[in-house]
Order: sequence, then C-alpha cells, then structure tokens
Amino acid sequence: MYLVVSIAILITMALALVRALLGPSVYDRMLAVNMFGTKTVLLLSVIAFLYGRPDFLDLALAYALINFVGVLAVLEFFQSRSIRRAADRVDGG
Amino acid sequence: MVILFAVFLLTLLALTAVAIVRTENLFVAVMLTGIFSLLMAANFFVLDAADVALTEAAVGAGISTVLFLGALALTAEHERSVVSGRWLSMGIVVVTTLILIYATFDKPRLGDPRAPVHQHVAPWYLDQTPELIGIPNVVTAVLGSFRGYDTLGEVFVVVTACIGVLFILGVRRGGYSPSPDGDRLTTAGSGLRHHLIPKVVGRLLIPFIVLFGLYVLFHGEYGPGGGFQAGAIIATGIILYALLDGEAQALKAVPRPVLMGMVVGGATLYGAVGVAGIALGGSFLDYSVLADDPVKGQQLGILIIEVGVGLAVCGSLLSIFHAFAARGRH
Repeated sequence: MYLVVSIAILITMALALVRALLGPSVYDRMLAVNMFGTKTVLLLSVIAFLYGRPDFLDLALAYALINFVGVLAVLEFFQSRSIRRAADRVDGG
Repeated sequence: MVILFAVFLLTLLALTAVAIVRTENLFVAVMLTGIFSLLMAANFFVLDAADVALTEAAVGAGISTVLFLGALALTAEHERSVVSGRWLSMGIVVVTTLILIYATFDKPRLGDPRAPVHQHVAPWYLDQTPELIGIPNVVTAVLGSFRGYDTLGEVFVVVTACIGVLFILGVRRGGYSPSPDGDRLTTAGSGLRHHLIPKVVGRLLIPFIVLFGLYVLFHGEYGPGGGFQAGAIIATGIILYALLDGEAQALKAVPRPVLMGMVVGGATLYGAVGVAGIALGGSFLDYSVLADDPVKGQQLGILIIEVGVGLAVCGSLLSIFHAFAARGRH
C-alpha cells in the first residue's frame, strides 16, 4: 500500500514540476514550488514507513517546518520590491 | 524498487538542472533551485542517507532560497546573455561528461557488499562504534570522533567562507546607520507583520523551529542530525523572525557582536576540546580522556564539538543573511 501511495506522490511531484517549468506567471511557479515541498514531506514520510524506519520522520518534520520560511521569503521579496518600485515612481514623477 | 525511485527522482533532477541553466529570468532560476534542492534531499533519503538529507533540508529548503532572494534584490531580474566562448565550454562539458560516463563502467553495483568502499575502514567503524563510543548513529560517531580532524577542518571552512562573504558585501564598522531615505523604505517594507496569516502562523512556528533545532543537536547521537543541521535550523528560525518583524528587529534580538562571537567561539570551542584532550594526557581530538570512563568521555566530547559546530554554522548563516540585508539598504 505504501508503494502505491509513494508512486502516486511521485507522479504528483512530476506534475508540479511540469507546472514550475512551464509557468507562465511567477505565481504559478511559486505555487508549484510550494506544492513540491509539501509532496516531498509526504514522500519522505511514506518512504520512512516503506523502509520500516519511522524514526526518519524527523526529516519530514524538518521540511514541514522549514518550507514555510522559503515561501515567506518569496512573499517578502515581492512586497519589498513592489514598495521600492512604487517609491521609485514617486521619486521619478 | 529503490533503484526505480532513485532513477525517477534523478530524471526530474536532470530536467530541473537543464531548466535552471536555460532560463534567463533569475527569479525563476531561484524557484527552480528550491525544487532542485528538494529533489536532491528526497534522493538522498531514498538512498538511505538520512543525515545528508537532513543537511540538504536544513540548508537547501529555507536558507539558500532566502539568501538567493537577498542577492536577487541587489541585482537585475534578467540574466545578460553571454555568447562568446560557448563552443569552448560546450566542448569541455561534453568531454568531461564522456570521461565520467566511461569512469562509471568500472564502478561497482549500488549496494554491492564487495565494493572497495565497504572493504576498507567502514567495517571497522561499524564494528567498533558500539564498543568504543556506545552510540547508535555511526555517522555521528565517524564525523565527530573517528574523523574529528575532517570536521574541524570543515568548521574552519565555514568560518572562512563567512569571513569572505562579509568582506565582499562590506559590512561597515559600527553597524547600520539609518539614513532618512533608507529608513523610510525599510520601515515601509520591513517584514510581513501587517499580514495576519503569516504573522500568526509564523510567530507560532518560531519557537518550534528553534526547539526542533535543539532536538536535532542533542539527539544527533541517536537519530539523523547533528551540529551542522541544528545550526542551520536554528538560523532558519531566526530568519523567519526577521522576515516577520523586519531585519532590524532580528538584529536587535541577536546583535552582530553576538553573531561574531558565535562564529569564532564555536570554532574555538571545537579546537579547545582537542587541546583539552592533549592537556589531559591524550592526543589531539581524542575524547576518551575527557571523563573517567572512555566511552562517556567520547560521548561528552562529541556533544561539545557538535555544540561548537552548531554555534559556528548558525552564526555564519545569520551574519551572511544580515550582510545581504544591510547591503540592500545602502
């Protein structure tokens, strides 16, 4: 059963990768990366049980905690960039 | 089946790598690098290298994305296309690839017990770790004790890299002096605290990330993990605070002198354990003499050097993060 689940997750990962490669907008890619991260967490958890080593769940936990930071960094990047651009426009005009 | 998983993941990895090289939009490249790192970690995990996968998780998923975006904020968004010398580089890449493929013909099969790598010192490590060090995670025993010199060298590589980055990004002496214009921009753009969901979820997560880092540090002898991963995870927690409340606020919580102290102090702590071994009558980085019972001494020594590694890594990553942010303000 774990095997079927992990294959399904691998297929989902491939689909997310296709979206990340094709785009077209920045937000598509960002969502794809986020989804890819979630699927990695799932894949690690399932494979940990497939191998019979549930103590490896630590890794999935680490990913689940850290993934969030990457996405927030992207959001911060967009926010500060749009503020900077608005400020440039005010200064220029 | 393991092979199938690994081949599938490696195929995706190769596709992502080609896409990173092909794209000229640097933001897209950063996003794809995130996927690359996730794939790499999944691949390490499938091949049963949990410690390496945890390192890739700790550094690749969070911090490298943050640092890449920090760098991207300082440059233009599109890559300038370089045409000259394309055929030469193409030729070098093709030749190297062919040589590497040729070299793989002599490689033993994956997991072959008669492979040279499993004949040399590895059986001795596996055999002696329970007796000499008494901890279940052999990787920690090898990195911390048997090959302590290598790890000491790696810590100094981290410290040197940190010094190099700080020199290049040119942090001013005396820290950040707010100019009226720069200040307006940073207060307007500092952090995501005006957004409810990141604020609430992020504040909730910070203590757990730091706690998890400490768990990885002190549990490294029993499960995957150790000082390097712990340092990176704790640094991620503090970077999350910086993203939420603004970088200046995070610098107030962990000021620059403290960061420098962590970088230098961590590396010095590691070296000091080695010197303490000499002083107590052993050899450099021989922890057996640190306690009455040699096995206890080994465990104590490994724990102290892991703390040293964690301090150095955490301090370096945060210094580099702040250096990028400080550069962005000027």
